[in-house]
Amino acid sequence: MATEPYDVIIVGSGAGGGMSAFHLTKSGLKVLMLEAGRHYDPATETPMFNIPAQAPLRGASTPDKPFGFYDATVDGGWEVPNEPYTVADGSEPFTWWRPRMLGGRTNHWGRISLRFGELDFKPRSRDGLGFDWPITYDDLAPWYDKTERLIGVSGAAPPRGLLNTPDSPPGCLMESAPPRAFEIFYERAFRAMGIPVIPMHGAVVTQAMEGRNTCIFATPCGRGCSIGANFQSTTVLLPPAMATGNLTITTDALVYQVDLDKAGKAKGVTYVDRKTGKHHSVTARSVVLAAGSGETARILLNSRSAAFPDGLGNTNGMVGRYLMDSVGLGVQGRFPAMEGLPPTNDDGQGTQHTYVPWWGYEKQKELGFPRGYHIEIGGGRRMPSLGIGTYVGDDEDLVGDALRDKLRHRYGSGIGFDGRGEMIPNDDCYCELDPKVKDKWGIPVLRFHWKWGDAEIRQAAHMVQTFLEVIDRLGGTPVPGYETDGRKAISKGGEMIHEVGTVRMGHNDKDSVVNQYGQSWAVPNLFVTDGAVLVSSPDKNPTLSILALAWRSSDHLATLAKQGAL
Amino acid sequence: MTDETPTPYVSKIDRRTAITWIGVVGAATAAAAGVVVYGPKMGGKAESKGYGTDPNLVEPAKAPWPRILTPDQLQTAAILADYILPASTTAPSASALGVPDFIDEWVSAPYPDQVASRARIVPGLNDLGRKVLKAGASERAAALKALHGTPFFVSFRKLAVGAYYTTAEGFKDIGYIGNVARVSDPGPSDAVKAALEQELKKLSL
Repeated sequence: MATEPYDVIIVGSGAGGGMSAFHLTKSGLKVLMLEAGRHYDPATETPMFNIPAQAPLRGASTPDKPFGFYDATVDGGWEVPNEPYTVADGSEPFTWWRPRMLGGRTNHWGRISLRFGELDFKPRSRDGLGFDWPITYDDLAPWYDKTERLIGVSGAAPPRGLLNTPDSPPGCLMESAPPRAFEIFYERAFRAMGIPVIPMHGAVVTQAMEGRNTCIFATPCGRGCSIGANFQSTTVLLPPAMATGNLTITTDALVYQVDLDKAGKAKGVTYVDRKTGKHHSVTARSVVLAAGSGETARILLNSRSAAFPDGLGNTNGMVGRYLMDSVGLGVQGRFPAMEGLPPTNDDGQGTQHTYVPWWGYEKQKELGFPRGYHIEIGGGRRMPSLGIGTYVGDDEDLVGDALRDKLRHRYGSGIGFDGRGEMIPNDDCYCELDPKVKDKWGIPVLRFHWKWGDAEIRQAAHMVQTFLEVIDRLGGTPVPGYETDGRKAISKGGEMIHEVGTVRMGHNDKDSVVNQYGQSWAVPNLFVTDGAVLVSSPDKNPTLSILALAWRSSDHLATLAKQGAL
Repeated sequence: MTDETPTPYVSKIDRRTAITWIGVVGAATAAAAGVVVYGPKMGGKAESKGYGTDPNLVEPAKAPWPRILTPDQLQTAAILADYILPASTTAPSASALGVPDFIDEWVSAPYPDQVASRARIVPGLNDLGRKVLKAGASERAAALKALHGTPFFVSFRKLAVGAYYTTAEGFKDIGYIGNVARVSDPGPSDAVKAALEQELKKLSL
């Protein structure tokens, strides 16, 4: 265990914080990690084989547990006790998912691990919209390779060379489990439409991997994994970091301020202990913020001084700007062709075994919207949930054996199609400090502003039309409740839990808050290694890219530390 | 007890909770009837607390809120649940799996969805109870048949089916064979693939 004086303080223990701790401790630096939530141990706290009947309300979602009783989220969800946030008058809805636990959102995430592609780093150069990153795909590619090999990602396949859908080099990925019946089924409809279906990249260990347990092909990943067969910061990054002897973790430490010394360098951070309400300041030679895009921006905005009256690094008003999420929506279908199949074990590997990458990169003009989406598709004979009763229509006059027979026949014949699409950053989406509202400890909270652009609305409408066509080709019927109007169908801001941006990287201190290594332009020994640094929000789920960027940035930090340049 | 009397519903709640609740109306009465008798609604109008934002997930505690259904309402729930899912030749009845207790837990819960559900389910149980609790077999059958398609019936059936098929016995009845550790996932069997190909052919896919 490291003690003061620390080389580095890391704020946050999720994808960005966990990866930073992993690399910096392995590089020999003494690290203090501050996590706002409580300690959390997947080995003892994961309800692996529990069934709904063991849980209150059969595990249904409630305001206390919005993703269901067994979801690996502690003290959080759309609201966190004692830690409010606000949405500005006149804004479109915005919602913010936070947990308060070691490992953050890596404990429950979807494990979808898609690389951003070459076009994703240079969108403005291609179509004049959004902003270019200060790095290219080739800059990040080696870090993607390393990250995939470290965390364990399935989805190996022969290279396809699909545009902007990178193939990982040999040796990076493990093979996925074979497609399940519903995955074989839907692939035929997409094939008929000329759209490829390929193996999903999922952060699940599907084959023998040194130092890791292999998936047991049972139990939902969203509960976490007691054997560490999928990627969680708490099972994959923090244990080896602890094993170096260079890491100290303090939980229940809600950081709200970066402290500067007289020379203008970061000297540490100040936090409030959530349990005692006491405020503490700790010092280090450098500071890494990885509290999540919202909290990281909030810490900077609350770090006011004579040099930075509007918040640290916010001289040009860039902190909190260009907040992004993914476009998201889903349509469910029911398929008579899938009814009555022989019982089979469809638990699978937790993530989807296959998916549909965006196919329209060269059809921007004919489609009428500039950026695309991929499709995540769920189905099969999974563990019944309380909603199983919806397999019988309200108007179906069934009880007794006839009811049992119908349920048995239809069980597993539903398939859900979910789109996740790119959002172009815009001036109407940002966060700032609320001028009035404070949290329980008197710290100003975030106020969000949100407005989807036309590009996203049109994309959402296209998603719905695509899903309806696929459902029709498969002889199915869509489950009512979907909207065809893109504006009504599109998710709320933040609802996809891919909120990124707010402290973006860039080419200079006018257009960004940090450089390509997440290093603050204003305070060179301050780094940001979470999703806040993202310049664009491609359709690919952000976690893998956050991990790869955090590793690259941490390596730069470690190099500077060794040179004595911090 | 005649053939026309529905079997008194025996709650599947744990013994300690049962003893607590029996205390409300008298253990002797309950023991004589051979059933657990539920206490009357406790407390005032304010909703009780939920299970909180950090419950034990591995060994979940019993839902903490007091149960509100009266013995008559619970008995009515048992009659309706067993009408929807009576025992089959291979699977137990809804009441044997404690579905009425689940209905009670559900309508008693303090969360918005459940409070909304309570407003549909409890009056429905009261109406139905008047028609079936003291009725003869044919009257009871007619009253149950007449419920079909009503919002109360639709809501109750959805809950009862959901509660039933989320148990180990329900898994068996519906054909869910997962939730077991495996060394690999071999994918669907040849029989499944063959059946699927037949269907795909019909769709010209």
